[in-house]
Amino acid sequence: MAYSYPKDNREFIKALEKSGDLVTVEQEVDWDLELGAIVRRVCEKKLPSPYFKSITDYPGFEALGAPLATYRRLAVAMGMNPGSSIPEIADEYVKRTTSEPIHPVVVDRKDAPCKENILTGDDADLFRLPGPMVHDGDGGRYLATWHFVVSKDPDTQDINWGMYRIMVFDEKTMVGPVLPFSDMGKMFHGKFAPKNKPMPFAVVIACDPLSGMAACAPSPIPEDQFAGMLMGEPVEVVRCETCDLEVPAHAEIIIEGEVIPNVEIEEAPFGEYTGYRTSPREPRTVYRVKTITHRNNAILTVSNMGVPTDEGQLLRSFSLGLEMRKLLESQGIPITGVYMLPESTHHMVVVGVRPAYSNIASQIANLIYGSKLSPWFHMVVVVDEETDIYNKDDIIHALSTKCHPARGIRIYEHGVGTPLNPYASPEERIWSRGAKVLFDCTFPLDWPKSDLPIKVAFNTMYPKDIQEKVLNNWKNYGFQE
Amino acid sequence: MARKEFDTFLLQDPDLLPEEQEMELIVRDLSPEDRRRKYRSFFANALVSKSESKYPDLLRVRLGRGQLLEKPWSIKILKELNKFATEEG
Repeated sequence: MAYSYPKDNREFIKALEKSGDLVTVEQEVDWDLELGAIVRRVCEKKLPSPYFKSITDYPGFEALGAPLATYRRLAVAMGMNPGSSIPEIADEYVKRTTSEPIHPVVVDRKDAPCKENILTGDDADLFRLPGPMVHDGDGGRYLATWHFVVSKDPDTQDINWGMYRIMVFDEKTMVGPVLPFSDMGKMFHGKFAPKNKPMPFAVVIACDPLSGMAACAPSPIPEDQFAGMLMGEPVEVVRCETCDLEVPAHAEIIIEGEVIPNVEIEEAPFGEYTGYRTSPREPRTVYRVKTITHRNNAILTVSNMGVPTDEGQLLRSFSLGLEMRKLLESQGIPITGVYMLPESTHHMVVVGVRPAYSNIASQIANLIYGSKLSPWFHMVVVVDEETDIYNKDDIIHALSTKCHPARGIRIYEHGVGTPLNPYASPEERIWSRGAKVLFDCTFPLDWPKSDLPIKVAFNTMYPKDIQEKVLNNWKNYGFQE
Repeated sequence: MARKEFDTFLLQDPDLLPEEQEMELIVRDLSPEDRRRKYRSFFANALVSKSESKYPDLLRVRLGRGQLLEKPWSIKILKELNKFATEEG
C-alpha cells in the first residue's frame, strides 16, 4: 500500500509551506557565504527551512536550505502529522522498513523531469550550477551537501545510494572522501581501483525526501529498495545518459561521470557534522564529470553541517538508532527503546532495557559495537525502563546518579573510528581508529531489593488516585500548563 | 590592470615554504572574470613570495583547517597544469 508522501522536492516544499515549516526568501541571496550563513543560523535556532527564490549569478536556479533539520520536517517527509512525537515517527519508520523490500520501477525518459536539460561536452560544467561556498575557509564549493551518490557493485549488481560529501575542484572535477569501510568505499577501493578501472557514478541532488532518508539509512537493504519501503510503492527511476546506473526520475539535478582510480586530489577542509572542522585537507577520491542533467528552474538542496542541529545529525541519528533497535530486537534483547541524540552529532546512543539478567548492558554494547554501524558513534548509555530515553533531563539524571564512576564505565579500545572524530589524535584520524565506551546506568541485580534507591518523582512517589486528583485540578490551582 | 587574487592551502609550516623558486601547488582563483567560476582550483607551477609586492598577483594563504594568514603573499603563475591530459587524450 502506497503511503501519502511528497513525491519530489517541489511537493515537499509545498508540504512544508502548508505545515508552517518554510520561509520563502524572495530577496536575492549570494551563493558565496551568505546563503550558507543563513542556513547555519536556521539550524542553530531550529527555524523553518529557508526557500531561496533568487541566487546571485544564477538566475533560474533556486535552493532549499536545511530540508530535514527538525523532527517536524521529518514527519512531513513521511506524510505524517507534523506534530507527531519522536516515538510515533520512529515506530512508523520501523514498521515501514521491516516490510518486504520494494524494487524500483524504471520509467521512460520522457516521464523523467530530471532530463529536462541535458548538458554534455563543455556544457557539462559544474560552475553552471549554484554550488554554495558553505563556510568561510572551506576547501571549495560544496555542490553536494544534501544528495546521494549512486554506484553499483560489479559482482552482485547491488545498488548503493550513499551521502558522500563532494567538493567542486574545477569545471569537470569533484573530490571527496570515500572511506574504506563505507559501502561505496568497499566497492571502489576493493573492486574497481585494484583493477585500475574507473567506477561509474551518478550524484543525485534534491530528490524526494524519502529517497534522501533512504540514502542516510545504514541498512543492509539496498537503498533504492529501502526508499520503496518508506514510500510503500516503487521509487521511479530513469536510466543515466552515460552508464547503466538509474537515478530517481523526479530529482532536480543529476551529475554523471566516473570515479577515477589511482588518482587523488586534496579535498577539504570543511565544516563537518561534528560541529568542528576536524579532518585534514588531504588527497581524496576524484570524480570526473561527463554529463549534467537537471529540471527546469532546478532547486538545489543545501545542508550546512556545524553545531547541532542539521539534517545530517538528525536523520543519521534517527536511522542509526533505529537500525540498532532492529538489531537488538532480532537478538531477543528485552529493550524498551533506542534513541540516538542528534545533539551528540550521532555519537551517543541511549538504550532502554528491562534488566532481566546481569551484564545485559555489556551484551548490548558488544552487539552494537560489533556491527557495521559502529564507526559512526562511540558512546552507549544503557538505562532501565524508568528512564525516558527521549528526555535529555532524564538521561543526564540517570547518567549522573546510576552510573558507577568505576564499575559502570567500560572502555573498548581498538575500535573503528573516522577521520572526522574531534577527540581522536591526528594519527588515529589518519588510520580511522577509535575507542568506544559504555555507560551502564542500571542498578546491579545482585543488590538486595531493600538497598535499591527509589526514584523520587511525581509519577513514582504518589498513589494513582492522588496523581489523578492533582492532574484534574491543575488548572484550578492556577497553573496554565 | 588590477592584480588578480588567488589563495592556497598550506599543509606545512608556512615558515618552511621555499620562496622564489619554482614549485607546484594548488591555487584557487578568487577574482575570475565570470564570478560563477570563483574558487575554481587548478594545479600550477608558480613562484611565491611572502612579500605582498614581489610578484604580480596576490596570494592569500590558508592553513590546513582553513585558517587565513593575516598578511597576503604574492605569486607569479608560470603555467597551469592539466593533470587529466593523458586520461582524456
